Amino acid sequence: MKRDMEQWVENMLRAENKKTMPILSFPGTQFIGVTVDAMVRDGALQAKCMEAIADRYDTAASLSLMDLSVEAEAFGSPVKYAENEVPTVLASIIKDAQDAEILQIPAVGCGRTGEYLKAIEYASHTITDRPIFAGVIGPFSLAGRLIDMTEIMMQCYDEPEIVKIVLDKATEFIIKYIEAFKEKGANGIVMAEPAAGLLSPSLMAEFSNPYVRKIRDAVETKNFLFIYHNCGNTIPLIEEIVSLGVRVLHLGNAVQLQDALEKIPEHIVVMGNISPAEQFRQGSPESMTKAVDALFASCGRYKNFVISSGCDIPPASPIGNIDAYFRAVEAHR
Amino acid sequence: MSILDNISEMLQKGKAKDVQAMVQQAMEEGLAPKDILEKGLLAGMGIIGRKFKNNEIFVPEVLIAARAMNKGVEILKPRLMADGMEERGTVVLGAVKGDLHDIGKNLVKMMMEGKGLKVIDLGVDIKCEEFIRAAKENHANIIACAALLTTTMEEMKVVVEETKKAGLQDVKIMIGGAPVTQEYADLIGADAYGKDAASAADIALEMCAG
Repeated sequence: MKRDMEQWVENMLRAENKKTMPILSFPGTQFIGVTVDAMVRDGALQAKCMEAIADRYDTAASLSLMDLSVEAEAFGSPVKYAENEVPTVLASIIKDAQDAEILQIPAVGCGRTGEYLKAIEYASHTITDRPIFAGVIGPFSLAGRLIDMTEIMMQCYDEPEIVKIVLDKATEFIIKYIEAFKEKGANGIVMAEPAAGLLSPSLMAEFSNPYVRKIRDAVETKNFLFIYHNCGNTIPLIEEIVSLGVRVLHLGNAVQLQDALEKIPEHIVVMGNISPAEQFRQGSPESMTKAVDALFASCGRYKNFVISSGCDIPPASPIGNIDAYFRAVEAHR
Repeated sequence: MSILDNISEMLQKGKAKDVQAMVQQAMEEGLAPKDILEKGLLAGMGIIGRKFKNNEIFVPEVLIAARAMNKGVEILKPRLMADGMEERGTVVLGAVKGDLHDIGKNLVKMMMEGKGLKVIDLGVDIKCEEFIRAAKENHANIIACAALLTTTMEEMKVVVEETKKAGLQDVKIMIGGAPVTQEYADLIGADAYGKDAASAADIALEMCAG
């Protein structure tokens, strides 16, 4: 369903009682009775999972899976699957400049990307009461999976030209992938660029932001919103991140969200940052309530604060904890 | 500026070739290998660790500095061994079974080596018995387990239990990784929790010192 997403952001900023927007998708396997392994290979199941979550929880938007192996797999990376864990990239496929040069940009739809597009297509027909966002990896995070995360960090100094060749190709693919999501009915994307959270501000300015900016410039419209997610230690990077010009930032629990809110202009929505591991996965309903209360106590006075999870909520998170999160949020609305 | 200060400075800039050349030069000038190690290389890594903790430098800068240190140590090692210099302790390190993420583990390794600890890096997806075997073979002081996933972190409990069963009462277990907390370390009976790579190295050094 076509929506005015600029207005959606404005409404969110103005609303006294803001709805929450956690990165909640994988735990939905528990509602529809399938394994993570089955779901990451099947777009119809993904849509069903999104519907089940939308039926149960009053969220600001519906999110597709945050599976950061899909795009790398499309490029040819080997991926490890597990019954109830999000897939992981197994090994690098780029060892040197020649590998980078001959790296082929995959067609959108290859590998499992077609299933992720299908999920958005199906969900856009059945979830009509809120916007739908697709999860997409960021360019540096994708390049890190193709090159190897430790290697890319050092290559930023040693072999920057190799990194940039891969970044160019990653960027070209991501733009096409997002355009395909747009055609299938997504109202926006949440771009996860966590690996850039390990960089210094100057390296972020050289190896991540120009590519993120290029993607955003290519895809964002009045009807299609670009949300930037980074769950790294973003406090030293805030100025760089703000310079991207995005309207919505989603930050992880590696930072005190209040510290970020202090530095971020009020016209930018800031989402975050209840710990997915500590609270959603390992916490209890009681600890969750305390965590939500504490976050509202420190951040509730900022009109651009929207409570969310700090990152993707793990698949096996107890439903009782997720329910407790929504109850606690509701108590503050 | 002394040559040891130069070694430290070049290390901090990640200039591996310069570090190698200066370590060689320092040895030729007759400086004690132990001094070159401690006052040059480890001093430089100490500054790197502090700057990393204070957000003055970031992961790539730590990695290239650690690589420069290792290049310097390679040159020193034969002399250090000939002089009978002992490591400050031995740590067996790995990402637990099922976990393939290694950047955090690699950072911990480099930080620990920067403290003068010997690190046996088993890699990723390491079974409990492999940790125990390596700890026995290397007379390790510490088994350090890393995990990035909420599912794989549960393997850490197995490592704690099996290490005790194996009779390695003197081997301490430390754990770390994005989903791991001090509460979780307490819950499974681990001896220590490293909040970040620099803290993990500090704690490991303290534990090895006894």
